Amino acid sequence: MVWTETANRWQILSIAFILSVIAQGSFGAIATTAENTTENKLSTSSNVSLNELSQEVTAPPAALTITGADVPWDAGGVIKVSWQPVAGTTSATKWIVEGSEVVEAGQGPWILVTEVPIAETSAVASKLNVDSAYFFRVTAVSPNGSSAVTMTKTAVRGHWNFFIGAKMPLFCAILFVCGCVIYFILAARRGQPMKVRRIAALEAIKDAVGRATEMGRSILFVPGIQDMDNIQTVAGLTVLGNVSRTAAEYDAAIEVPTSRSLVMEAAREAVQASYLAAGRADAYNADSIRYITDEQFGFVAYVSGRMVREKPAACFYMGCFFAESLILAETGNSIGAIQIAGTAESSQLPFFVAACDYTLIGEEFMAASAYLSGEPDQIGSLKGQDLSKAIAAILIIIGVVLATGAAIAPQSVLPAALQWLKGMLGS
Amino acid sequence: MAKAYTPGLKVTARTTYRVRRLLPVTGEVRVKVGESVSAKTVVAQTFLEGDVFPIKVAGMLSVNPAELMPLMLKCVGDSVQVGDALARSKGIFGMMKTEAKSTATGTLESVSESTGMVIIRGAQTPVQVCAYVAGKIIEVIPNEGVVVETDALFVQGIFGVGGETWGPLMIAGKSHAEDLREEHIDASMKGAVVVGGARMTAGGIRRAREVGVSALICGGIDDADLRDVLGYDLGVAVTGSEKIGITLLVTEGFGDIAMAKRTFQLLLAHAGKMASVNGATQIRAGVMRPEIAVPLGEASSGEIFTGGATAGILDIGTPVRIIRDPHFGLLGSVNALPEQPAVLGSGSKARVLEVALESGQRVTVPRANVELVGD
Amino acid sequence: MRIVATDCGSTTTKAILIEEKDGVFRQTFRGEAPTTVEEPFADVTLGVANSVTELQELSGYKLIADDGTIIRRKNASDPDGCDLYISTSSAGGGLQMMVAGVVREMTAESAKRAALGAGAIVMDTIASNDRRKPHEQIQRIRELRPDMVLVSGGTDGGDTKKVIEIAELIAPARPRPRFGGEYKLPLIFAGNKEARPTIQRVFSGEGFALSVVDNLRPTLERENLGPARERIHDVFLEHVMAHAPGYDKLMTWANAPIMPTPGAVGDILQTIAKGRGINVVGVDIGGATTDMFSVFGGVFNRTVSANLGMSYSISNVCAETGMDNVLRWVHLDMDERELRNRVKNKMIRPTTIPQTLEALVFEQAVSREALRLAYIQHKSFATTLKGVQQQRTVGDAFSQKEAGGSLVDNMALDLMVASGGVLSHAPRMEQTALMMIDAFEPEGFTELAKDSIFMMPHLGVLASVNPRAAMEVFEKDCLVVLGWCIAPRGEVRAGRPAFDFTLRRTNEVVAQGQLIGGEMRLVRFGHGEVGMLEVRPERGLDMGAGPGEPVTREVRGGTVGIVLDARGRPLKLPTSAVERRACVERWLKALEVYE
Repeated sequence: MVWTETANRWQILSIAFILSVIAQGSFGAIATTAENTTENKLSTSSNVSLNELSQEVTAPPAALTITGADVPWDAGGVIKVSWQPVAGTTSATKWIVEGSEVVEAGQGPWILVTEVPIAETSAVASKLNVDSAYFFRVTAVSPNGSSAVTMTKTAVRGHWNFFIGAKMPLFCAILFVCGCVIYFILAARRGQPMKVRRIAALEAIKDAVGRATEMGRSILFVPGIQDMDNIQTVAGLTVLGNVSRTAAEYDAAIEVPTSRSLVMEAAREAVQASYLAAGRADAYNADSIRYITDEQFGFVAYVSGRMVREKPAACFYMGCFFAESLILAETGNSIGAIQIAGTAESSQLPFFVAACDYTLIGEEFMAASAYLSGEPDQIGSLKGQDLSKAIAAILIIIGVVLATGAAIAPQSVLPAALQWLKGMLGS
Repeated sequence: MAKAYTPGLKVTARTTYRVRRLLPVTGEVRVKVGESVSAKTVVAQTFLEGDVFPIKVAGMLSVNPAELMPLMLKCVGDSVQVGDALARSKGIFGMMKTEAKSTATGTLESVSESTGMVIIRGAQTPVQVCAYVAGKIIEVIPNEGVVVETDALFVQGIFGVGGETWGPLMIAGKSHAEDLREEHIDASMKGAVVVGGARMTAGGIRRAREVGVSALICGGIDDADLRDVLGYDLGVAVTGSEKIGITLLVTEGFGDIAMAKRTFQLLLAHAGKMASVNGATQIRAGVMRPEIAVPLGEASSGEIFTGGATAGILDIGTPVRIIRDPHFGLLGSVNALPEQPAVLGSGSKARVLEVALESGQRVTVPRANVELVGD
Repeated sequence: MRIVATDCGSTTTKAILIEEKDGVFRQTFRGEAPTTVEEPFADVTLGVANSVTELQELSGYKLIADDGTIIRRKNASDPDGCDLYISTSSAGGGLQMMVAGVVREMTAESAKRAALGAGAIVMDTIASNDRRKPHEQIQRIRELRPDMVLVSGGTDGGDTKKVIEIAELIAPARPRPRFGGEYKLPLIFAGNKEARPTIQRVFSGEGFALSVVDNLRPTLERENLGPARERIHDVFLEHVMAHAPGYDKLMTWANAPIMPTPGAVGDILQTIAKGRGINVVGVDIGGATTDMFSVFGGVFNRTVSANLGMSYSISNVCAETGMDNVLRWVHLDMDERELRNRVKNKMIRPTTIPQTLEALVFEQAVSREALRLAYIQHKSFATTLKGVQQQRTVGDAFSQKEAGGSLVDNMALDLMVASGGVLSHAPRMEQTALMMIDAFEPEGFTELAKDSIFMMPHLGVLASVNPRAAMEVFEKDCLVVLGWCIAPRGEVRAGRPAFDFTLRRTNEVVAQGQLIGGEMRLVRFGHGEVGMLEVRPERGLDMGAGPGEPVTREVRGGTVGIVLDARGRPLKLPTSAVERRACVERWLKALEVYE
C-alpha cells in the first residue's frame, strides 16, 4: 500500500506540475506584463536611493573617451557607441547620447539617440542612414546639472552587410531542413529502408474497391468542391490516381462528379493514366468523370441523389470540403458504403471522422502521394520534413518550459536563456 | 524379428526393363506390337489443344455485352489472325465506327453474351513421345501409347536433375573414388552419357555443358554446385523439367562421396553401348528415382522391372550403405540386428543394427539410416 | 462400448481401440501397418485390416473376421467385434483443390478458407485481381490437376459479371483431374445466387460434375462456409474417394463418413475450444507440409504450409529462411557447407533419423524455423473479414484500425497442441517445449501439450458420432501436458528484473523468485499437480492484465513443468554470434534441454 500511496502522490505532483506549465505557458503575456511592473518598481526605488546619496551640487564629470563602431552582420544603419566614464561614484543619473550626420563635410544638427542609465557604458544607434558618416557625443546628467560633452573623434559609418548576423540561426535551420530532405532522398535512393507509419485509410482503399467489385456496384470519388488552385484538390487527385488504378485492376466501375470544369479535365487525365498503367486501357470510360455545377448545393444535391439511387459500395471524399461534408458522409453511411475521406479543413474533420470508415487528417492527406507512390524521392522528402517538424516541436516545448520557468523564477538564468532562444529564432 | 524391410536402390547387371510411354492426351500410336525401336523412335504423337486467349470485345467497343452478338464480324469456328477485326460498333449515324481487333491467331471458340468476352483458341501444338530405350514393343495401348521392353543393365540413382536423354556410355576417370574434374572431359564426349567416379566438381560440370555432354553420372555433388547449375536453391526434390541442357545424376548423395564400386564396374563393363538416362526425381508419395538403362538386347531373364522404388529384407550379412552422418556413405554388411531399441547419441530410442564396415570397423546405427545395396 | 478408429496416412495406417470402462472412455490399444493404396496391393482395406489385426493381437478381442472385414458386435455382451468403426484418410496426397473467387482478399479468400477447413490442400487461388492476365490464369488452370474445384464470387445480389468471367476461364481451360480418363471433374459453385443459371450453362459441357450450394459470402459482412465445407466432404467421398483403390469398400465399413485427416483434426480442436471456452492453436509438422489450426474467439482457421516440413521439404525450409536464421538456434560449432549437403541428403533420403546429438540439435533448429514460418503464414491468413463497413465515433480520430486484422493473439492463447515427428518424438519433452516456445513466442500464460500418438484425427471423426467419448479420450489419453510457458509481452532490459513469481499449492509456497531480463528458468511441477501461480511483472511488461499488472492463474503440472521465459516479446536474439551462442547455451542449460 505504501507503494501505491507514493505512486498517487507522484501522480498528483506531476499533474500539478503539468497544470502549472500549461497555465504559465498559455498566459505568457500576462506574466510578461507582471515582469515589467516589477522592473519599474525596482528602478523607482533605486532612484530614491540615488537621490538620497547625491548631495553634491556640482555637475558630474564627463566621460573620458567615446568611440563608435559599425555593428557587423546587419543591413547597415546601426552603430554601437561606447564610452568610458570617470572612475568613482557620481551623482549623475543618466547619459544622454546624441548623434549628428555628416552633411557635406560639415555637421548636421545633433539629434537625441537615446538616454541610458548611468551604469551603462554603451548604446546602440539604429535607423541611421546606411553608409552615412555620423558623429556621436555623450553627456552625463544629474539633478544638479549636466557634464561637459564628450564627442567621437572621427565619423563612423554603419555599413550594409551581405549577411544579416541575427538571421544566422534561421539560415542554419534552412540548411539543416534542406540537408535532412536531401539526405533522406539520397538514403532512400540507395535503398535504405524507410519506415512510414501505416495509414489505415490508404490501406483500406483496396478493401473499399474490393467491396464494390464483389457487390457489383460502382465507386464514387468526390475530389472536393474547390478548383485546381487549391492544394487539397491536387492531393485529392493524387489519391484518385491510386483508387482508379486499383479499380482498373479489380475491373470495378468508378464515377467522379466534379464541381469545376478544370478539375474534371485533371481527373480524366489521372484516371486514364491509371487505366493505362494497369493495362486495361479498354475499360476506361471518360464519361464517368463529369462536371456537374459550380454551385455548392446544386452539386451536393446531385451527388446525394446519385448516391441514394445508385448505392455505390465505396465512397471517397478527398479534397476541400465545407458545409457539404456531413451531408455527403451521412448519405454514404446510410447506403452502407465503405467511406474514406481526406481533407485539411479542420472544421470538417470531426464530421468525416464520425461518419466515415477512415479519414485522412490534414498532414496525412498531404503525405498520401508519397505514401501511395512509394517513390524514394517522395518518401525521402517526407522523412526529411518530418525530422524538421520534430525539431520544431522540440523547440516549441523547450520555449514553453523556458517561458514558464522564467515567469516563476525571474532572478534565475531562465529569462536570459529564453531571450537567447528568442534571439536565435530571429524574433 | 531378425529381419526388417528397408528401402534400397536397384543396381542390377541384367533385368527385363519395361517402360510405358504414354501421351499426355489421347492421340495416335505409330508403332505396332513386336516392332523393334531405337531410343529416338517416335512411338506416338498427338496435338495438344492450343492456348486460350480471351479478348474483351464489348469493352473495346464500349457496348453492352448483350448487344455484342449482332456486331460480331466473325462467327464461332472462324479462323482469326492477329489484327483481324472481330466486331464493329454501329457508330453515330453510321460514322465513327470502332473496331475490335484480334490480339491472337487461332480459331474463334466462343462469344459470351454475359461478359462480352470472346475466346480465341490458338493453334495446336504437336507432342511426340519417343521410345526412350531401344527395345521391342510388347503392348500398344490404343490412342495412348506403348510399352517397350528390353533386357538392360539397370542402375537407379538417388537424385538427378534434367529430363530424359540418351547417348553412348563413356567412362571418365580411372576409379570409382576419383572426383570428376574439368580435365576428365574432352570434346569427344559430345552427346555421350559420361560416368565419373566420386563427386562431380563445379569445373567438371561446366566443361561438360560446354562440350555438350548428354548426361553426367557420378557418386555425389556439392549442394553449392547444384545451386550454381540450377540458378536457385532447390527446395523440394521434384525434378526432371529443368532446362539446363544436361542431365545430372548422382548415385549416392550430396557431398564428397565415391560411387559404389559395383555400380562403377557395371557401367565400366558396358562402356560404348547406348545408354538411356532420366534425371527426373520425385521424393514424395509415389517415389520416383533417376535411372540409367543400358539395353542389352532381347528380353530373356525372368525378372521384370518396371521402375519405382524397391525395398528388401535386412538380414545378417546383407550389404548395406549408411545414409546418415556420422558414417554417411560408408558401405558394409549387417553384422547384428538387436531386437531391443537402443538409446542413440541424440538421446532418442530407436531400433538399431550393427554394421561391419569394409574397413573392418563395427558401428551401431539406427535401422532407418541404412539402405540396401546390390540386387 | 468399443470403438475402432483408423487413419489411413500416405505411408502408414494407424488404428486405435477406444473402450468404455466404468462409464469412462479410454484409448486402450493401438496398431500400425503400412498403407496399401498403391501398387502392388491397390486396396486400402488391406492396410486397415492389418493395423486392426495388430489391435486384435494386443487386446485379445477378435476384431477381424476371416474374410478380412471388421466384426460388429450384436450386443454389449458379445466378446468379439466392435460397436463403431470410423476412419479418416490422407492417402494419395490428400484432397487437392483449386479455388476461385472474384476479389482475392474477399470471396476468393473465403473459398480458400472453406477448402482448407474441409481438410484440402489448396493448389492455387484464381481471382480477378491476382495480377495475372487471363491467359496466364488459363495456363495455370491447365497445368494443375486438382481433385475438385470450388468457385465463389459476388455477394448475393451483387456481382455476376466477374464470377461468370472466371467460370468462362475455367470451362475452356478444362483442368484435367488427377485420376484422368473418364473421371468428371467435380466443381462446386458457392457464389452469387443470381449467377447460378449462367454458371450452370457455362459448365453444362462434358467433363464437369457441377453442384451448387449456398453462397459462402452472402454479404461481405457474413461468411457462411458450412454448406460449402459439407459439400466438399460429400464430393470427396462420392468422387475422389470412390476412385481411390479400396475406398468404396472402406466406406461401407465405416459408421461415419470418412473424413480427410486434417479436417478431422480441425473438428476435434474446435470441439475442445468450444467445450472448455478457450483459444487453441494446434500444429502438425510433417515431412512435407506443416498444418496449423487455430480457434480464437470461436473462429476456426486452418492453413497448410505446403513446402515447410522436416524431410521432403527440409531443404526448402533452409532455402526460405536462410542458413543464418537456422544456425542462430544452434549452440554447437557446425560447418555450413557440410550442413547444406546434409540437408540435401535428408531431402533425398527422408526416412533417416538423427543419430548424433549434433544432428538432433540441427534438426530441431530447422524445425523452429519451419514452425515460425508456418505460424507467420497462419497469422496472415487467419484474419477478420475484409471489405466490411466500419462504425466510428469521433473518438476514433487517431486510432482507426483496419478491417482484416489477424485473429491470432498470442496473449489470448490458452492452449497449444503440438504433433508431428520432430515435436512428438523428441527424446526429451523439454526439447518439444522449447521448440514451441521459440517458434511461436507465446505470451502471458500458455499451456503446452502434445498429441501423444497422433490420435486427433480419429477423435475428430469420433466427435461427430460420440462427442463425449471424443472429449474424454482427448483429455485423458490424447493430450500429454508438457506444462506452461509464462512470458511477458514487451521488451526486457538485459540484467534488470523482469518479473517476480510465486507458485502456491493450497497456500504452501512451492517456488518463488525473480527473473532477470533475458533469463529462462524451469520450475518442475509434475503431472496431476495443480497450483496457483502469481506473476508480478515490472513496469512496461504485460502478463495479460496490462503493463506492470500482476496476474494470478491456476496452472496444471506436466512432464516438463513451468517454463518462465523473461526473454521478452517479440523475441530478440543477440546480434553478435559469440554472445548469441552463449545466450542459447544458457537457455538450453536452464531448461535441461539436452541433458
